[in-house]
Amino acid sequence: MPEDRFPGHRFLPYLLILPSVAVIITFLIVPFIQSVQESFYTSTAFGTKTIFVGFRNYARLFASPDYRQSIITTLIFASFVIVVGLSVSLAIAYLLNQKIKGRGFYQVALIWTYALSPAVAGTIWALMFAPATGIVPYIVNRLTGGYVLNWMTNGQLALFVVSAAATWKMLGYNIVFFLAGLQNVPGELLEAARVDGAGGWRTFWKITFPMLSPTTTFLLFVNMLYSVFQVFGLIDIMTRGGPGNATNILVYNLYRDAFIHLDSGSASAQSFIIFIVISIAAVVQLRVATRKAVYAR
Amino acid sequence: MKKLILVGLILTLAVSLTAGVAMADKVKITWWHAMSGSRLDVVKSIVESFNATHPNIELTAMFTGSYAETLTKFIAAYRTGTAPNLVQVYEVGTETMLDSGAIIPVYQIPGMLGETWDWGKYIIPIRNYYSKDGNLWSMPFNSSTAMLYYNKELFEKAGLDPNKPPTTWKEVEEYGKKLRDSGVQNVLSFGWPGWIFEQMFATHNQLFANNDNGRSGLATEVLFNGDFGQMVLETWTKLAKEGIFIYGGPEYSANTAFKSGQLAMLLQSTSSLAGIEKGSQFPVGTSFLPRFEGYPMGNSVIGGGSLWVTKGQSKEELRAVWEFLKYLGQTDIAIQWHKGTGYFPTMNSAVKALLDEGWFSKDQNFLTAFLQILSGRRDTAAVRGVRLGPFVEIREIERAAIEKAVSGVMTPKAALDEAAQKANQLLQDYAQLHK
Repeated sequence: MPEDRFPGHRFLPYLLILPSVAVIITFLIVPFIQSVQESFYTSTAFGTKTIFVGFRNYARLFASPDYRQSIITTLIFASFVIVVGLSVSLAIAYLLNQKIKGRGFYQVALIWTYALSPAVAGTIWALMFAPATGIVPYIVNRLTGGYVLNWMTNGQLALFVVSAAATWKMLGYNIVFFLAGLQNVPGELLEAARVDGAGGWRTFWKITFPMLSPTTTFLLFVNMLYSVFQVFGLIDIMTRGGPGNATNILVYNLYRDAFIHLDSGSASAQSFIIFIVISIAAVVQLRVATRKAVYAR
Repeated sequence: MKKLILVGLILTLAVSLTAGVAMADKVKITWWHAMSGSRLDVVKSIVESFNATHPNIELTAMFTGSYAETLTKFIAAYRTGTAPNLVQVYEVGTETMLDSGAIIPVYQIPGMLGETWDWGKYIIPIRNYYSKDGNLWSMPFNSSTAMLYYNKELFEKAGLDPNKPPTTWKEVEEYGKKLRDSGVQNVLSFGWPGWIFEQMFATHNQLFANNDNGRSGLATEVLFNGDFGQMVLETWTKLAKEGIFIYGGPEYSANTAFKSGQLAMLLQSTSSLAGIEKGSQFPVGTSFLPRFEGYPMGNSVIGGGSLWVTKGQSKEELRAVWEFLKYLGQTDIAIQWHKGTGYFPTMNSAVKALLDEGWFSKDQNFLTAFLQILSGRRDTAAVRGVRLGPFVEIREIERAAIEKAVSGVMTPKAALDEAAQKANQLLQDYAQLHK
């Protein structure tokens, strides 16, 4: 009871948390409510006139084949980033966990991608794949005798490149956590497994991977947030949602409608939709994964 | 004696105070713009010389990001009362600004300040673009149009006359095949595909949207999915299939390929001329945009941006802003801007001065844009430029349609019909909001 921790000061606890609560209300709750409200209106760019349109913004979004495509694109993109990202980083972390020469160097070299700004990461990949001057199309051209790898006209290729870039950028973060998780696997268990005659692969799946489940759960969640919410910068630099909306993930579509098309009603509706989707995904994930994760030995 | 000294001291104090007050009385105005790269340097130089020659005004020019970012910032700032005095908005934002209620039309400013100004000084196609009912609403500043750039060396290698670039799209295809067969990887590309698509309409005097391209009233329907538009897109799709046309990205990305000799022909903004010539190791040729045979003459359309004066300024600030706008209209400043950036000088007097000093004989490529725009029609709505409320979004819809058709995902007709349907929906929403 608060009175027990602050004898004589009944309201002190509430006063102490008041600043944080005030900030959260002012900067999160109020804008959130305003945004939901705005999603029921359509307004001019300068906000000089607003018309109440009820659920029109939402109805238009779900009726729009472009928006539905954007949902699918986001799902494909997020799946790639999560599945490929986590698998590759786990493999790399596992290798990094071995006692090899130059381990320190490899660790730094593999982790620094996380420190790059999205603009830099996007530019690197954009230049690598630039159809006329990039190194990857050049190599492909040489190897296949003339095929021009042009990601500006090939939507699937563009989505692949953008997914690869986003995954690459997040590798560092995933590796750090996996490495920490691996190092926390108690040595005695691994020893016991070896003594019992278990091979490397079996040891990994039966002992190491389950012990990693808290880390995996956490990374699954973080990568999901990252791939749906935080990849805006990369897309903006590389493809601007193109070609032909092939890389127009939900959050990029929102940005375009809000700040370039100046359609605040539709953008607000989109942000609310993403919020709902993420909330559901988060709740499901935390329930299911937490139940399955092994937290205690 | 003491009294004299006292009076003297008081007078000195009074004078120094008033002098101090007079010096602190500089009118401060701000200007937000989107000119990056080398254009930023020219902006800085002009602003510096303006401030130096106008000691009672302090103009601060701020680079506020891309055109879209600048407009978004301006809207947010205007709504909170912190807008700059002057803002540069791209041409596709014209209708948005006209309907904003946030600006003072420039044609009213001289009258408000008790001055007169001759609007005939400005190059007519540019003036027409930003005029409503014959009056200029925003100040022309950075106007460009599109033209054909080509690599004379690659032309020679393919056995083509380097002084005979293609005039029609049929010739583009013919020459394109020769260039392709001579080993050129990618023959033709363009920047700003939506804009180039609109250019095709204007250069052939075809309307792009109803209500006189949105100039005699808010446009409620686009016309680009008609026969002409289909023909244009079918041509480009055919060229893509033949390996002649390669899609070059949404904005300036095709320039790199051209400068590095990977492209033989490029349709791009005239404002890229200086940069392209500097970055190319081969002789660069320029000419008018290719035409479709059998269609009427029109004119190439203005792109770029203009300057808008914010409402709600004090009279002193407005006077200072007007001084700057007049300064930009000086022949030598207009020439400085043109030479430094490749944008048109906005004043007719500048064209004469450039001619007199032999600028065009030094490098004929700078003449192409002028001749193209000054030799075309100026009287019909189709050549004056399209004006749409949700133009930014519609241009993206155009771009998506072009991408889909050229990459073979959809037929040109289907792509254009889909685009028209989306565009019409947006136009109707806009009209509803701005009744």
